[in-house]
Amino acid sequence: MLTDLRLRDFRCFDALEIFPGPGRTFVLGENAQGKTSILEAICVLLRLQSPRTTATAETIRFGRDRFCLDGHFSEVHLRLHYSSEGREMFLDSKPQARTEDYLDVARVAWFANTDLELVRGGGSGRRRYLDFLGIQCLPGYRKSLRAYEKALRSRNALLKDNRPRREIEAFDPPLIEAGDFLLGARRRLCEALAPLAESACREISGGDDALEISCRSGAEGPLAEALTHTRAEEMRLRQTHVGPHRDDLKLLLNGRDAAGFASEGQQRGIALALKLAQARHLEAVQNRAPILLLDDIFGELDPVRRNRLLASLPPHSQTIITTTFLDWADRQPQDIAFRLVGGRLENA
Amino acid sequence: MAFDYPAPFLQLARELRRLPGIGPRSAERIALWLLSNKDARPGQLSAALSTAETAIRPCSRCGFFATDDLCEICLQPARGGREICVVELATDILPLEKTGSFRGLYHALGGRLAPLDHIGPAQLRIESLQKRLLTENPVEIILALSADVEGEATTNYLVEILEPLGIPLTRIAHGLPAGGGLEHADQITLLRALSGRRPVAER
Ligand SMILES: [Zn+2]
Repeated sequence: MLTDLRLRDFRCFDALEIFPGPGRTFVLGENAQGKTSILEAICVLLRLQSPRTTATAETIRFGRDRFCLDGHFSEVHLRLHYSSEGREMFLDSKPQARTEDYLDVARVAWFANTDLELVRGGGSGRRRYLDFLGIQCLPGYRKSLRAYEKALRSRNALLKDNRPRREIEAFDPPLIEAGDFLLGARRRLCEALAPLAESACREISGGDDALEISCRSGAEGPLAEALTHTRAEEMRLRQTHVGPHRDDLKLLLNGRDAAGFASEGQQRGIALALKLAQARHLEAVQNRAPILLLDDIFGELDPVRRNRLLASLPPHSQTIITTTFLDWADRQPQDIAFRLVGGRLENA
Repeated sequence: MAFDYPAPFLQLARELRRLPGIGPRSAERIALWLLSNKDARPGQLSAALSTAETAIRPCSRCGFFATDDLCEICLQPARGGREICVVELATDILPLEKTGSFRGLYHALGGRLAPLDHIGPAQLRIESLQKRLLTENPVEIILALSADVEGEATTNYLVEILEPLGIPLTRIAHGLPAGGGLEHADQITLLRALSGRRPVAER
């Protein structure tokens, strides 16, 4: 559980402090007040990555050269300094060299309106969805993902420049080693997520919608063989033609392609089901619920889906919710609410 | 108009900022210290910099730091005709040297294959390595490059190029760190440690 969080020079905030409750914490505010940035700060502090951007440097407040975030999660003091010179991580004031140790403290599930892209958008968003989960629950996933991306980009640069075959193939062993790991890990993640997403989708749709998710692998069989089989194509296209960078998640609603045939309401339900599945999987493997960050998702949902979602969230999990208005929620006594006005938080 | 430090000060801070790990604020702090602290010796520093710049050059054979054509390591007569240990950078040589268990010669490539930074075989000292092998006849070539993607690729490339020469070719082992337990190792580290296993009798 996150008990306190401080932001310095992060996004629009020079300094901000927040003490979330153990249950639901609401952050109220008009648009463009920076509500999302508070959730983003939590995600960056706990997971070292922003769900909004891949360029962490752009979260540094305009005109400053670094941001600092710190807070206590389950009595561990996390502190993160980030500048163009790099990042420094501390656990209980001790500098951490190994990212894996720092990331082992907390798990996060993030819900946002943009999740709709998981259903409507291209495969890269769905791969990021799987990666966000894989990094949090599979040892070695993060390292393999970084290695694969590096090997793939290097190899594609050589293919594009028409370099000699032996230069290209020098990158094959590291590509294959990381690639086979990723292909297997994502297949296993899909298998674990499928029943969880199915039941979450039924809960949100009130039992009407059957969601079926499956993994469409970017390579059949071992990557080394797939590379050999596609050599002619890769020479012609001048890029690596098989591998986990072409993995995708197939989404069927009531037996039909969800992007093409589901209504907008159904698609929002599918996106929520995918995120709920993620949260439930993390809870199952960690034996404790992740912290849930819900960024302004209730405005776009009809009241029925809203209440079903609230009922479907893992119970006993700490949940931080941003929203423009609160009249939809039946407040519970242990709820905490803040209002964000002019860069300051006040009790609401 | 807003006032700032005088131009020579800003020039100094700009130069300091180019150093690795130094940002604008540290650069300003160091410049201030150099110019105003009584313990600072800017004259000596600048003299030491120009002396080092003119006196130090890479060893023409192995690439290590030298003040002459050959470095101190290459000048030791007992080291020739044994193993040649290939490393990425000249700075990789001293750590290996400090283990005290290697008595051969080194060869620093000056980097590794990095297509994303436009570094290919031609930008590395690979040709000079091939020439050395023909004249020096080492008993073994040891590839001691990093275990990351570009280090691995460079090792693979060198194996392709050097294998036809018929000189015994080895690569340093990668696996579990000394003192590390199995339960903390990730899958890839374990896979490498497994594939790099060796018969117990060899110990
Ligand atoms: Zn030398």
